[in-house]
Amino acid sequence: MADLTYTELQRIEKRAKVSGTVGKTVTYFLLTLWGLIVLFPFYWMLLTSIKSYSSYNSEYVPKFIATHPTTQNYVDAFTTVNLGRYFFNTVVFTVLTTAVMMVVTVLAAFAFSRLKFRGKSITFAIFLSLMMIPNELVVITNYVTITNWNMRNTFQGLILPSVASVFYIYLLKENFEQIPEELYKAAKVDGTSDLKYLLKVMIPISKPTIITILILKVIECWNSYVWPRLVTDNEAYYLVSNGIQEIRENGFGRENIPAMMAAVVVISVPLVVLFLIFHKKIMEGVSRGGTKG
Amino acid sequence: MKKLSSLKGWLYLLPAILFLGFFMVYPLIDVVMYSFEEGYNFASQSHFGYGLYNFKYVLHDPYFLQAVKNTFIIVIITVPLSTGIALLISLGLNSIKPLKELYQTVYFLPYVTNTLAVGLVFMILFKKTAYSEGLINLLLNSLGMSSVDFIDGPYWAKIFVMCFYTIWVVMPFKILILTSALAGVKKDYYNAARVDGTSKFRIFYKITLPMISPMIFYLVITGFIGAFKAYADEVAIFGTNLNAAGMNTIVGYVYDMLYGNSGGYPSYASAASLILFAIVFTITVINLLISKKNVQY
Amino acid sequence: MMKKFLGRALRVLLSAMLLSLTACHGSKGLDPFSVPESFDESKHYEITFWAKNDTNMTQANIYRQAIEDFEKLYPNITVNMRIYTDYGRIYNDVITNISTRTTPNVCITYPDHIATYLTGANTVVPLDELMADSRFGLNGTELKYEPAGAIVPKFIDECRLGDTAYAIPYMRSTEACYVNKTLVEKLGYTLPDKLTWDFVYEVSEKAMEKDADGNFKVNGQKVMIPFIYKSTDNMMIQMLKQKNAGYSDTDGNILLFNDDTRSILETTYDAAKIGAFSTFKISSYPGNFLNAGQCIFAIDSTAGATWMGPHATNHDIAEDKIIDFDMVVTTIPQFDTEHPVMISQGPSICVFNKADPDEVLASWLFAQYLITPEIQTAYASTEGYVPVTEKALNLPSYIDYLSKEGIDEDLHYAPKLQASKLLTANINNTFITPVFNGSASLRDAAGQLIESVTKSARRNEKVDDAYYEKLYKDTASLYHLDSGMKVSTGEMKKQEFGPLPTTSKVLLGLIILTWVAIGGTYLYGFIKKRYGKNNNK
Repeated sequence: MADLTYTELQRIEKRAKVSGTVGKTVTYFLLTLWGLIVLFPFYWMLLTSIKSYSSYNSEYVPKFIATHPTTQNYVDAFTTVNLGRYFFNTVVFTVLTTAVMMVVTVLAAFAFSRLKFRGKSITFAIFLSLMMIPNELVVITNYVTITNWNMRNTFQGLILPSVASVFYIYLLKENFEQIPEELYKAAKVDGTSDLKYLLKVMIPISKPTIITILILKVIECWNSYVWPRLVTDNEAYYLVSNGIQEIRENGFGRENIPAMMAAVVVISVPLVVLFLIFHKKIMEGVSRGGTKG
Repeated sequence: MKKLSSLKGWLYLLPAILFLGFFMVYPLIDVVMYSFEEGYNFASQSHFGYGLYNFKYVLHDPYFLQAVKNTFIIVIITVPLSTGIALLISLGLNSIKPLKELYQTVYFLPYVTNTLAVGLVFMILFKKTAYSEGLINLLLNSLGMSSVDFIDGPYWAKIFVMCFYTIWVVMPFKILILTSALAGVKKDYYNAARVDGTSKFRIFYKITLPMISPMIFYLVITGFIGAFKAYADEVAIFGTNLNAAGMNTIVGYVYDMLYGNSGGYPSYASAASLILFAIVFTITVINLLISKKNVQY
Repeated sequence: MMKKFLGRALRVLLSAMLLSLTACHGSKGLDPFSVPESFDESKHYEITFWAKNDTNMTQANIYRQAIEDFEKLYPNITVNMRIYTDYGRIYNDVITNISTRTTPNVCITYPDHIATYLTGANTVVPLDELMADSRFGLNGTELKYEPAGAIVPKFIDECRLGDTAYAIPYMRSTEACYVNKTLVEKLGYTLPDKLTWDFVYEVSEKAMEKDADGNFKVNGQKVMIPFIYKSTDNMMIQMLKQKNAGYSDTDGNILLFNDDTRSILETTYDAAKIGAFSTFKISSYPGNFLNAGQCIFAIDSTAGATWMGPHATNHDIAEDKIIDFDMVVTTIPQFDTEHPVMISQGPSICVFNKADPDEVLASWLFAQYLITPEIQTAYASTEGYVPVTEKALNLPSYIDYLSKEGIDEDLHYAPKLQASKLLTANINNTFITPVFNGSASLRDAAGQLIESVTKSARRNEKVDDAYYEKLYKDTASLYHLDSGMKVSTGEMKKQEFGPLPTTSKVLLGLIILTWVAIGGTYLYGFIKKRYGKNNNK
């Protein structure tokens, strides 16, 4: 009886193993396939960027490797277009916007989660309903506002309308609320001020969520296009995203696709490198941001 | 004391209220104003009265209707498809151990890249020019199929490229969310089920799916909203003259009415964007109602 | 105390918002400009100049040099330049900036576009008075530079809307046909002095013959598009003009959608269907194909001449792809070679009105500086352009330049000089289309018709009466040609709509139904809850 069960068990296990191996192979195959679909455009981008202009244009059947790789396109990307300047602007824009946004968000989230005041719930409801509004809707008026304030082609003009973000307030408020109320009460008894409590207790505890918000905002800033395109018409204030469009339209003579690709690579690299270094943190963060929303 | 704390609350909220007030609430009211100022345009700075003319104009404009059609097609095709594929991939990811992290990292890559930039690459891959059929067409040819002009060709081909790219763009987020949701399903449930000799499919259907259904619903809602706001991806592939390409979306229509070659009409743009808002709002409410009823937490 | 302050702050904020809302949209506009008594040189002026160049660094440098020189002459004026490569973008940006009163001071643009700018009150400065002004005019005595002198009458007339000049011309060009003579002869034809459309289409059709390997017989290559047009709007406009057919009238009535247009489109369709015709938007730059021996008739602006020919100064394609051939620069094809007709085009300069008349005067001084002989001839010789003033045209150095055709392949590149001469020889055969608010859109629509038909031909779509009817209707709607703008009255008219289209009905119906359903479920739930409660009691 015991013997029988034993052999039976072995056989079942063996069968499971075989079907498991087949299943695993199929799984790996499909996963790899999707991986290739994801990576291929990046590969093509890199490949095209090291092909010389003439060899790119003479390939009826595109080649999968560059026979005579060149770095000329990258030299062009930095010399013909003021890419360095665009980079600097984007970094300034991203850092300042994110910093101001963080202060505004933390204060608002704290008010909603810990402080008691009249009209809190109705205000919060109004805030939430603002989440539904597509950005495109408000761009026109913001443009007029910024012009009236004489802030076109300034960093203020770029930053101010990009600061407010209801979603992040909501995200952080949810997180703050999970911190036990008792801590707050104890602090109050100790005579700790609200601001001190916020800085010393709440922010350190909510660090992961704050990092999440940071990451999401940085990505958002780096890729923002419509607003910068509108309020800047001076090259000195272009961001990299305007840069791409600028390059597409008049950067390198007519239709120089390899040079365009080089510029695209240069523009994409900072975020990709950041991502590769901090990929665990970033993915954790985005996933947390996603699940809370 | 009580008054003081009330004051303090508002004080903490003040920066947020200022920013939102100036750059969100006020513009919103402004948009509503525009939408009732009939035929207002930037050049003449005048309108012929107040009323529903702008809405009428937009609803009669064949390009708006084309945009509505395109947008609905994007939504209907990409949302279920991308969610479904993301679920399959996440299940696959969850069933393996070695290389799992590598795959996850690779899958997430598109999330951190500029969609305008990668769209350009897609355009090059699909475009058929006099000099080259384009890589995708050569691939089709080698499979014995004839070439298709994906960028300038028949409607279905353009829709295909558009949906393919949209899915490519939204995938990273969905895979990530679903993978972590799947990882969160407690192993105990599975073990209990396995002891009972339940089939794999049944386990998935009876245990996994209900456990992750809130996340799926969440992805569907955000997917709907995101797809209704599609614009940048289309520009990257088909260029800025989306109306002539027949590939415009509602947001693209709004944008063109404002700044495009036929632009300068905030009145029509506002009317169109309010219609978009009505659609998105309705769908969100439906989603919320359904999820309240059906999702098991 | 604190609360009071806060309450007040909020109230101020709210009232500020409301105030700006009750003000509604639209501004009163500026007062009309009148020439000031004198130019106040003690004041500092900062003026913005939006320029256009053709992806050509030399042109940008000429602008820069001009600005530098100008600022030396007038140290109290600073000129900020922004360069565009696309007139459409300039147009869009100007329109957006009219509403915020942040228009540039001086702008390079098309007269078509100015017509739209003019719908705002006093946005653009009328220039007749300024041009004739004895101190600051074209022959002004108080200018710090050599006066520009008279503008070629035909060219300044093109800048008039009604009787008023709202711009001065900057450069003039027309279109030319760049022909690969070698291939024409290889196909067994002799290139006539004056091209006809029939000839172009006939040769193009012949060029489509392929050998057994699928290569084109005429050039032995896989690619051959015998006839490529750069600006299809010009193609349509010139063909209609040559046929004396309707396009638009000076009152702003749109006559484009007629039977002559249809017959032009049908010819285009037939050629496109066999691959003998294509456009820039669909296939890319004509010059690229021409230089690679893949095109026989390339029609492009004379201002594109430096990109044309085997020895072209500029080129996009790889050196080893360029094929040697005999190129002829000739006038565009005609229906009636006895009476050639071609378009006159090119950038013009307009000056925008500002609250401070001195600022406007400063802008005018700069705008005028751009048409002084030195700058005119320098800029004109970067491409196949023609200067716009008599002085510049008769400048000895310019005459000398024109006489040195082909002595080198750079400054004196033969096709470039031939292109310029093409226009100077034909000034009296040029025409422009009536300018009115909406004429820019009409122009776009004219080009779109050809683009659409060409695309349809490439896709083997069936074209019949219904196709053309729909094409006309769609194009009119895309460019708001049906929005009823009337120039004669200066007012826009509301459009009469028929019943709602089905898609709209479905859309609205769906939204309403959904809300009814949502309301229904809510009500149902509410009643059930109440009823259930009552029952429990």
